[in-house]
Amino acid sequence: MTAAGFSPQAGEESAEELAAAQLRRQVARQFGRSLHIRTLDTGSCAACEQEIRLLAAPHYDLHRLGLFFTPAPRHADMLLVTGPMIRAFDVAVRKTYEAMPGPKLVVATGACALGGVYQPDAFTHGGAGEMLPVDVWIPGCPPSPLALLQGLLVAVGRLAEKSRTMTFVQNGNPR
Amino acid sequence: MTALPLLATAAMLWAAAAVTALATLAGRPWGSSCRPGLAGRAGLRACCLLSCLGGVAAAWGGGLSLVSGNSRTASAGGSVLAGTLQLQATSLAGVFAALLGVIAVATAAYAPRYHEPSPAAGLYLAAYNLALLASMAVLAAGDVVTFCVAWESMALLCYLLILRRPRRTEVAAGAFWFLALSEIGFVLIVAAFVILAAKAHSMQLAVIASRAHLVGGDWRDAAYLLALTGFGFKAGLVPLHVWLPEAHPVAPADGSAFLSGLVVKLGVYGIALFGFRLLPGLPAWPAIVTMAAGAVTAAIGILYALNERDIKRFLAFSTIENVGIIVTALGASMTFLAYSQRSLWAFLLLAALYHVANHGCYKTLLFLEAGVIEHAAGTRLFDRLGGLTRTLPRTSVITFAGTLGIAALPPFNGFVSEWLIFQGLFQGFRTGSHLVGILIVLAAATLGLTGGLAIYAFVRGYGIPFLGMPRTRQAAQAREDGQPVAGPALLAAACAALAVGAPVVLAALSRAMRTVTGVELRPVLLPGRLTVTPAPPPHTIFSALSPTYLAVFLIAVMAVPGLIYLAGRPRAASVTVPVWDGGIVAFRPRMQYSAMTFSAPTRVTFDALYRPAVSVRRASDDPAGRSGPVHYESEVSPVFTRYLYRPVVRVVERLADVVRPLQSGDVNLYLLYVFAVVLIAYLAGAL
Amino acid sequence: MPLWFARGLRRGVVTTRYPAQRDPSAADLPTPPAFCAEKLTREVADQLCQACPCGALSRAGDALTFDAGACTACGRCAQAVPGAVTRSGEFELAATRREHLIKQIPLVGESER
Repeated sequence: MTAAGFSPQAGEESAEELAAAQLRRQVARQFGRSLHIRTLDTGSCAACEQEIRLLAAPHYDLHRLGLFFTPAPRHADMLLVTGPMIRAFDVAVRKTYEAMPGPKLVVATGACALGGVYQPDAFTHGGAGEMLPVDVWIPGCPPSPLALLQGLLVAVGRLAEKSRTMTFVQNGNPR
Repeated sequence: MTALPLLATAAMLWAAAAVTALATLAGRPWGSSCRPGLAGRAGLRACCLLSCLGGVAAAWGGGLSLVSGNSRTASAGGSVLAGTLQLQATSLAGVFAALLGVIAVATAAYAPRYHEPSPAAGLYLAAYNLALLASMAVLAAGDVVTFCVAWESMALLCYLLILRRPRRTEVAAGAFWFLALSEIGFVLIVAAFVILAAKAHSMQLAVIASRAHLVGGDWRDAAYLLALTGFGFKAGLVPLHVWLPEAHPVAPADGSAFLSGLVVKLGVYGIALFGFRLLPGLPAWPAIVTMAAGAVTAAIGILYALNERDIKRFLAFSTIENVGIIVTALGASMTFLAYSQRSLWAFLLLAALYHVANHGCYKTLLFLEAGVIEHAAGTRLFDRLGGLTRTLPRTSVITFAGTLGIAALPPFNGFVSEWLIFQGLFQGFRTGSHLVGILIVLAAATLGLTGGLAIYAFVRGYGIPFLGMPRTRQAAQAREDGQPVAGPALLAAACAALAVGAPVVLAALSRAMRTVTGVELRPVLLPGRLTVTPAPPPHTIFSALSPTYLAVFLIAVMAVPGLIYLAGRPRAASVTVPVWDGGIVAFRPRMQYSAMTFSAPTRVTFDALYRPAVSVRRASDDPAGRSGPVHYESEVSPVFTRYLYRPVVRVVERLADVVRPLQSGDVNLYLLYVFAVVLIAYLAGAL
Repeated sequence: MPLWFARGLRRGVVTTRYPAQRDPSAADLPTPPAFCAEKLTREVADQLCQACPCGALSRAGDALTFDAGACTACGRCAQAVPGAVTRSGEFELAATRREHLIKQIPLVGESER
């Protein structure tokens, strides 16, 4: 499943974007109110894991949004991947992904999983995109719980993606 | 045909089978090289065929005697030395005789593929058929002498059965435990019979039964308690059960099946004989002692079963547990009589006999299958097996049927009989005495604990060897061709018949109860055709169960998900992926549950009973973990042998040491003994 | 148990209302940089690319390629060229395609020509 949850530009209604919108509605219907997440650490420094853990704490409380953590891939709808995807983890990643029943989502989070910090070499693939079909990428090092919440809600279609229109360019006065 | 001739026919056929076995297989002298060849194999089959026919006759005769009441006492033979043989087919023995027949048929179907034709097998089969004959004689005995002679021969023949491979030390030890405890029990049984025969001035059991009122209060209680203890040695009441886990593993599979399926039940028969036929009308306290002994036996039996590593020892302890359940029902039944609740008296006896039949069928099945496993996989230990559903499919299905029965899961036969026993115990308040009511409820609670632990134990007993992955190469290479299937399959069919045909069985047992107790249970117990209600009149319905409807309903309910699956299958795309194992690279068989870790919670909870001893030795204490092999040993201490039997044995040995100088071997000392005895006799005669 | 309950009542609800309302703690989060367009000459771009330890900044011809996904918000680019880089304050960075996070920022020399 790809292309979930982005809002089309005004005036551009290509076939691909119509299909994507329909897919987004399907995803929102399936997972929008209840999503079970299985986290997978493929060699990270555990900072992302600490932020993910905070999501269950009272301040951020992901249960109020219908999101739940589950240890069993058989019960999971989404795989939340952190870490640079070290090669020693290949078998485990493949088994975990295969053990999840469809339909399933994959979200990669953290600069390592997005391919930033480590280059592919003998020990690591460099990023989650090499091994898994990622649906949503959440940057950050580590991503704050708020960023994680936004990313998870984008993945289930409850929030619109904002990063496509960001420019990271500041004109004139500082913000 | 009436019952007694049928039972006599069965006995004759078994004698013929024994002779056939001796003639064809054991014909050559010991030690000479022999190749049995065609004659041996044919002889084996002929012996088993005769045994099977005898079993059919016994089952038929047993069934007939259930419904037709007690027959006359017939006498056979007559010699100055041995006296006459008195035989009588009674309703009480009917269940046991029918069970004997079914077990004989099943083991006869099992034996040709299990035993190789050899002289030792010939001797074994001869002893086995004679043991069947002796058991039949015990059940059909009409007087005290016949009973005792038959009982003792049965014990000696079973000793020979266990000694199938006499050169192994553990076999000799196990057989010796059996014989020693059997003899102690026999002494007590004879004492009980002597009291009764003296008080009633007759040796015939029917006459003793009719003159029960002549036995005064204290003598009656003493006789009953002697009988309870004496037969308890055979039945396996705690702490008299010690021979069961020693003798069962070392006997061949059909021998263990016979021991657990029938010989133990003969002990129960003896208790029932004394409690219901020869001495009815006991006061409350011996009955409560019986019930308490049964409840304690059941709990301790299953607790020890949970910590056994060997399949046959595990099944032996499970037998002890079930005997406890039966004896609890018998004890509660006699308690109800002491408080004038006659229909509950008859009802609990019926439930106990039903459980005897059920347990006989599924325990025999499980022991026969344990033998198949031992031959196929080469080991009896749980932790060397695994994955046998794939390598031994038919065996696993049949064993599963037996496991469901013994775990008392609805709608199988174990459930029906245990439900009946519980319903009887729950009506303890009808005795009117608060104390007795509480004691009966405590017994019911103990049986409830036992039932839960039994499910735990049999999940372990079936899951560890059959499910999962094979733990050793032997288990992975087990093969089913050439293993006996017909015998166990017949027993599985019998279990199913006892479950679904419960109304028929209950009708037959009610007829038997009318003979034994004089209470007409049928209109109360089976008001409709298929529903069972265990409440005595004139009370309203206490509870109701229909095993037949339950079986039909459960099968229909289980079919529904199956139908949904079949209907939805074409539309849903499905992918077959491996079992989720945590994502590890390779799942090794040693990572599975072992039998002892599965039951570890009980060792924690009940450590006061088990007193587990754990020892751990490491080769070194390298903190990096490379400490070399670790030797871990955990043992559940054998409380009864260590704290009860060893002290007694030591006292006896010390007494023997004291007395040994009398047998010095010195001829002069012996002449002095002769002289002293003659002198004393002369003086005693003169004075 | 009652003490815990009383303490909770006094403190009130601490759960954030995000995404229905803005969370005040978001103002303090480390976020990727925003670049001042008029200060980005080729030399400044090369300085920034050298300063970045994660490979988020690279110069391809006349555009600065900024990979927001690889950025760890370490702040070395802001330390290297203080005037050209500020805090963007953007933390809602989730993207459905990896390319949505890779931004091409035109350099000053190019626009003047």
